[in-house]
Amino acid sequence: MSLSAEKVRLGYQGQVIVPELSVQIPRHKMTALIGPNGCGKSTLLKALAGLLKPYSGSVRIDNHPLGSISRRELALKLAFLPQKPQAPESIRVKDLVGYGRFPYQGLMRGACDQDRKIVHWAMNETGVEAYAERPIEALSGGQQQRVWIAMAIAQQAEILLLDEPTTFLDWGHQLEVLELLERLNREAGLSVVMSLHDLNQAAQYSDNVLVMKEGALIAEGAPTDVITADLLHEVFRVEAECVTGKSGKLHCIARGSANKCVNQSDKAQ
Amino acid sequence: MNAGNNRLSVSGSWLGLVLLVSLLPVVLALNLFLGASELSPMEVIQTLLVGSGQEHVVRVIWELRLPRALMAALVGAQLALAGFMLQSLTRNPLADAGLLGISAGASLGAVLVVVGAGTLSSGVEIYLQGESVLVWLPAAALVGGLLAAALVYGLSGGSALTPLRLILTGVVCAAILNALVTGLLGLWGQAHTETIAAWLAGSLNGRSWQHLSVLLPWSAMGLLAALLIYRPMRLLRLVDEQALSLGLNLGLWRLLTIATATLLTASAVAVAGPIGFIGLVVPHLARGIAPGHMALQYLMTAIAGAVIVLAGDLVGRLVLAPYELPVGVLAALIGVPAFLYLLRRQP
Repeated sequence: MSLSAEKVRLGYQGQVIVPELSVQIPRHKMTALIGPNGCGKSTLLKALAGLLKPYSGSVRIDNHPLGSISRRELALKLAFLPQKPQAPESIRVKDLVGYGRFPYQGLMRGACDQDRKIVHWAMNETGVEAYAERPIEALSGGQQQRVWIAMAIAQQAEILLLDEPTTFLDWGHQLEVLELLERLNREAGLSVVMSLHDLNQAAQYSDNVLVMKEGALIAEGAPTDVITADLLHEVFRVEAECVTGKSGKLHCIARGSANKCVNQSDKAQ
Repeated sequence: MNAGNNRLSVSGSWLGLVLLVSLLPVVLALNLFLGASELSPMEVIQTLLVGSGQEHVVRVIWELRLPRALMAALVGAQLALAGFMLQSLTRNPLADAGLLGISAGASLGAVLVVVGAGTLSSGVEIYLQGESVLVWLPAAALVGGLLAAALVYGLSGGSALTPLRLILTGVVCAAILNALVTGLLGLWGQAHTETIAAWLAGSLNGRSWQHLSVLLPWSAMGLLAALLIYRPMRLLRLVDEQALSLGLNLGLWRLLTIATATLLTASAVAVAGPIGFIGLVVPHLARGIAPGHMALQYLMTAIAGAVIVLAGDLVGRLVLAPYELPVGVLAALIGVPAFLYLLRRQP
């Protein structure tokens, strides 16, 4: 299943955020979308998920423009997790995960054995099985995020788009979520696209990095090729050192914001 | 339910349902057995089973109490279900048909017909036929309710509406429509103020098979639709982006949910007047009995709505007998404290 955007122009209420952008999402890979706040990461993700209609250009899945297929059909191919999902009051975890099966069900037909099996699998895979009967608000932030991911994978779509899946989590829970996504990618062959703020995590957990700045895609490729000191200076205005560790993964160490470093070098002179 | 208890008690929920379901026939029976005219239980049973007996008893049971009880049950279930739907749709626990202007639209429709009947020459005939104005009230209220819902829906952006905009538009429209009702009554309603005031209070007094036959087709349609929209309606409570990503045609199902709630409300208001607080309070009650189990909550909302209006009408008929306290007045008197209590218990 291939997902691509062709010369899309995106924005809200007439305000353009992404003037023109084309991208091809690699299949069965982990793709990280990075860039400073307000650069259009969420906007691009929404467009890729068919939630934001491009002013011009098109988003295509298997070469069909998203506008030409129904929401239900799209839901069978692509799942999206927004930055701030919201649960109905005191809903049970297993019911929420069960919503992932909605595109497979009719108006009257409830969950069949197959659905229940998949909900079970999704909860097991994300480690929330033990909380199946609990209301979601009784869970911690990290657990809740895993429930949302369980709902998304219960949809059994090949492409999974996540808008900042780690933002509101502590360090340990961030890694848990990323490891979970990596495992789903390796074992179930999901194509994952996620926007991340932590560059080290992006480098460690993705095969492919998309770098955005001011609404444009300015670099893409393997993390070791794309994430360089020059790029970090240009995109984030951060002076950083990028070293490749023993594992072959890239590590970025920040020296400070570019402004601060400039001031310091002024003083030295 | 205790807020500190993480695991939801499913068995407790079923127990609540069983209690409610068994309460329904009990209240229904009480409505047949008790009333202004004192009939012995034996007489009532005999009349119900055989269909014969003293003419007076047959009349009270078959012509007065039975249709009235059936209507109370339907009206209660419909108002409560509509409240549940609108609360899910707007993701707002305070939403109901009153807040969204549907009841006000229905009231305006009814008032227009009565006032209009007095001023138009052909209308005078309708009105002079006495009781027959009561036949026109439901139709007018139904049309008024549907038009008000369409207006609110359109003004809130149609298929592009957001829940918040829907509520704000509804509140504004309800205020205007209610003001028009009062204005019409004050200016031209003198001769009919009594008829209209009785209807506006929300009452089942004097309702017969004729009213029930007006209500039934709409009830059947509305309740069937309530069943059909249940599964998609659950997803309306998520963030828009999530509902869409799960394959829900959000615009369509929002419209169908509003349409169903309007059908249920407008037809109920048409025959019984705008009985408030049922749509607001009963869904909370159901949520309290079956936390976390939406299908059970939905079912319980319908049953509890029926039980409460039946009980309210019974109490209204008995406390001041031979006078009657309109069920709408009782619903407000009991509903408001009940609502405040529920609010306090919620974390």
